Amino acid sequence: MTISIWRYSHLALAISSSIFILLASLTGIILAFEPISNRVQKQTISNLDEISVAEITTTLRENYSEIISVEIDKNDWVTASVIDDDGNNQIFYIDPLTGKNIGTPTETHPIFQFATSLHRSLFLKSIGRFFVGLTSFLLFLISITGIFLIFKKQGGFRGFFKPIVKEKFNPYYHTLFGKWLLIPIVIITISGVYLSLEQFSIISKTKIVHQEDTLFAEEPVLPLSEFDIFNNTKLSDVRKIEFPFAEFPDSYFLLQLKDKELLINQFNGNIVSEVNYPFTAIISYYSLIFHTGQASIIWSIVLLFACIGILFFMYSGFSIALQRRKSRIKNRYKKDDCEYVILIGSENGNTFYFANALHSELIRLGKKSYLAELNSYSSYKNMQHLVVMTATYGAGEAPTNAKKFKALLQTHQQGKPFDYSVVGFGSLAYPDFCKYAYDVDELLEAHPNSNKIDDVFTINNQSLESFNQWLLKWKEKENLEIRLPEAILSKKKRKTYTFEVIKNTKANKQSDNTFLIQLKVTLGKVRFKSGDLLSITSDKDQRERLYSIGKWDRNTILISVKLHDRGYVSNKLNDLTVGDKLTCGIVKNKDFRLPKKAKNAVFIATGTGIGPYLGMMHENNKKAVLQLYWGGRTKASFELYKKEVATYINNGNLQSLHLALSQEQEEKVYVQHLLERDSEHIAKILKNKGVIMICGSVVMQKDVTDTLNEICKKHLNKPLSYYQNKGTVLMDCY
Amino acid sequence: MKLKLFIISLVSILTFTALSPISKSTSYKCMIQLINYEGEGAYIVVSLLDPEGNYVKTLNVIGDDKEWYHDLTNWWSYFENSSESIDAITGATISGGQRTIKVIKIEDDKLNKGYKIRFETAVEDQKYVADDVTFELTSESVKSKVDGTGYIRYIRMLPQN
Repeated sequence: MTISIWRYSHLALAISSSIFILLASLTGIILAFEPISNRVQKQTISNLDEISVAEITTTLRENYSEIISVEIDKNDWVTASVIDDDGNNQIFYIDPLTGKNIGTPTETHPIFQFATSLHRSLFLKSIGRFFVGLTSFLLFLISITGIFLIFKKQGGFRGFFKPIVKEKFNPYYHTLFGKWLLIPIVIITISGVYLSLEQFSIISKTKIVHQEDTLFAEEPVLPLSEFDIFNNTKLSDVRKIEFPFAEFPDSYFLLQLKDKELLINQFNGNIVSEVNYPFTAIISYYSLIFHTGQASIIWSIVLLFACIGILFFMYSGFSIALQRRKSRIKNRYKKDDCEYVILIGSENGNTFYFANALHSELIRLGKKSYLAELNSYSSYKNMQHLVVMTATYGAGEAPTNAKKFKALLQTHQQGKPFDYSVVGFGSLAYPDFCKYAYDVDELLEAHPNSNKIDDVFTINNQSLESFNQWLLKWKEKENLEIRLPEAILSKKKRKTYTFEVIKNTKANKQSDNTFLIQLKVTLGKVRFKSGDLLSITSDKDQRERLYSIGKWDRNTILISVKLHDRGYVSNKLNDLTVGDKLTCGIVKNKDFRLPKKAKNAVFIATGTGIGPYLGMMHENNKKAVLQLYWGGRTKASFELYKKEVATYINNGNLQSLHLALSQEQEEKVYVQHLLERDSEHIAKILKNKGVIMICGSVVMQKDVTDTLNEICKKHLNKPLSYYQNKGTVLMDCY
Repeated sequence: MKLKLFIISLVSILTFTALSPISKSTSYKCMIQLINYEGEGAYIVVSLLDPEGNYVKTLNVIGDDKEWYHDLTNWWSYFENSSESIDAITGATISGGQRTIKVIKIEDDKLNKGYKIRFETAVEDQKYVADDVTFELTSESVKSKVDGTGYIRYIRMLPQN
C-alpha cells in the first residue's frame, strides 16, 4: 500500500537503527540509576550556595599543610586532593564547612562502568562511538518525523494539543507517549549528538589560553579571607579550585567557575587573568548534564521514563508495522478480466482484513475478483460490480492510499455500466464518522455508468456483526451464495460454560417482541460484571451473537433480547423454558462497566439496551445517584421492565426515570429530546466527574452523541470526545 | 637442638632484614601543563629509567581506562610483563590546554647516578610520543621546569621537605 513519506521515513529510520537504539535504551535505563544513587550518598553537599571560596580555602589551609586542588562535581560532591605529612597524595571527599575527610572516592560500580562503555562506544572504541552518535541523530529524526505524523493524525498543528481519540492499544499509546516524551527524547538525542560531535573534534573542545608567565606582584600579602573574588564567589558556582603550585610569584590560584576561568594572584587576590568559556563549552557542559541526568534526580527519572518509553515505542511501532504488512494485496486475475472489483481505502490496514475476506470468498465461488487500493484506481474493462471499502482519516479526509482517487476517477473511464456499493469503516467516537465513505459515494454517483445498489453502509469499530449484515444485504442484491468467510469466523474459540434457565418472560406476551431471560451457572465459577457480553454461538451458522449482561448475583445473569422473526438464536432463546440448559461464553467488556468510583451516572438506553443497567441498578449498594433515560415506542413497551425499575426507585437504587415514548403522542419524542431538555443537568454531571453510559442501537447512538456533543460544546466548551477519552462517556451499541 | 638454632637464626635473619636501612625517598610535587592540541584526553605515564635506559618503576599514570594503555608502546611492553600495581598512582586524564598536579615519590639514592625520569604521552587516534619529557635526575633538575616536545608544554617539579 502507498504510505506517506513521513510514515515511511519514520519506519525506515526505526528499522535501520533499531539494534543500536535497543542497546542504547537498555543501557540508558541502567545508567539513569547512577545519578539517582549518587544523589543519595552522604557526601552530597546541599548548601553549596551558602559557602564562599574564601571560607573553604581558609579552612583547608588550616587543616592541611599542602593542598593541590578542590573539585566540586555534578553530584555536588566536594573532593580535595592534598599531600599528607608523609608526602603521600591523598584524595577524599570533604565537608566544605569543616574541611574534614568524609570518605574516600570509590570506583564507579562495575555495572555502571559496563553500561557506560556499551552506551558510549559499544566496546568498539571510535567506530562504536560513531555509530552511537549516528543512532542518536537518527532517533532525533525519528522524533521529528513522529511530530509530523501526529500533526497529520490530529489534523494540523493545533491538533497536537488535543486529546487523542482512543483506538487500538498500540497506536493509541504510541501516539500518547510520543507526545509526552517528545521533549525529553529530543533533548537526549540532541545532547547525545553534540557530545559525539565533540568526540570527533567536529566541534572543537574548548581551549582556554591565559596570559601566563608574567611575574605577579608579591605585595601586599593579604589573608585568603580578604580576597574579594573569593568572598564574592559561592561554591555552587565553582567547578574547581587549583591551589598555587608553590610560593613562587608566577604560581597562582586557578579558579574554574561554571562559565569562566580565573587566575588569581596568590598573595593579594587580584585577578590576573579572566577568560570566559566559549559558548561551545557552556553547551557542552549542559549537554552532559542533560544527557546524563547528573545534577537532578527529577531529570534522571524523566530520562529513565524516556528510555523505557523508547523500548515501548519499538515494540508498539513494530507491531503496528507488522499489522500493516498483513494488508498486502494478492491478485490471481488481471484487472481487465475481472467482473468484481474491490477498492480499498485504509490508513492502518485494518480494512484490508475485511476486503481480503470478501475477495477470497468471491474467488472461492469461482468469480473473478480484483483487489486494489483506491489510489491505483484504473479502467477495468469487464467490471460489473464495484465494492469500495474505505476508512476515513483525521477530520473526514481520505486515508493515505485513497488521496488520489478523486482525480483518478476523472482520468479513467469505465466502458461498461457497473453496480457499486460503498462500505464505510470507522469509529463512532470520531466526529466525522465514515465521512470519506460518503464522499466516495457521492463521487461514484456522479459517474455516468454507475448504478448505486444501496446506500453507504457504515461499520463501527470493525464490528463483524455489522460486516455480516452488509454481506447478507449485498449477496441478495448481487444474487450470490456468499458465506461469512471462514477467516473471519474462526477467530478464537471461547471458553464456554453451561447455564440453566431460571426465568424466561417470552416474547409472545410482549408488545415489542422483547423478553428477559435469567440464566444461572450450573457448574464452576464464572467471573463477570454488568456490561460484559454473553456470547451465544449459533449451531446453524457458527456465528457468535453477543448480548449485554445485567448481573443479578454471583452466578446469575439477566439478558434482554429482541425476538427477530427469522433470527435463529433469538427464536431459540425465546423457546427456552425454565430448567433448560444453554452453552455460552463470556466476553469481558471493560469499556462498558460502571466505574467503581462513580458517584453520579446517567444511563441512556433504547429498547433492550436497558439490559446491563438492570444489573447495575440491582447492584447499586453504594447508592450512587443513578438516572435512567429510556426510549421505546409505547407505554406497553416498558411494561416488561416496569416492575423491576419501580423497585429500584422505591429502594433508592435509582434516583429518577425519564421515559421517551415515541408513539404515545403526535410529536415523536426520543431520548435525545429529553437529554436536550435536561442539558444543563447533564452538563453538570459531566463537569462533576459523573459518568454517562449509552446502550442500544447504533442509530440511537448517533443521535444521542450528536446531542451530547452539542451540550458539551455549549455548556462546557469542550467536545464530547474529551469526555470519551477521559473514560466518563461509555458506549455499547450494536 | 638443631631446631632451636634454626629458629634463632631465622628470627635474627628476619629482624636484620626488617631493620636494614631502606633507601629513603622524597615526594615531589609535579605539575604537568599540556599544549593546546585538539582531540581526546592525553594518556601520560611517568616512569623511572636506569642509566642504561631500562624501565625501573612506574611513578605515575594519568588516564584510567586500561584499554588504551597499549598505545603507550614502550612502557606497555615493560608494564605488561611486570607485576607492578599502579592503582594508587593512577588518575583521570587531562586534555589539551589543561594542567594537573601529581605527587610522585623517588628514592633519594636514584639522584645524581644517571637515572632518568621519562614522561611518555599518547592521544587516541593521534601520534605516540615516547620521549615527551626525559631528563636525568639530579639534585638540581628535580627543582626545575622542563619543556616538553609533544603534548606536554612543560613539567615542573618541586621537592616536598
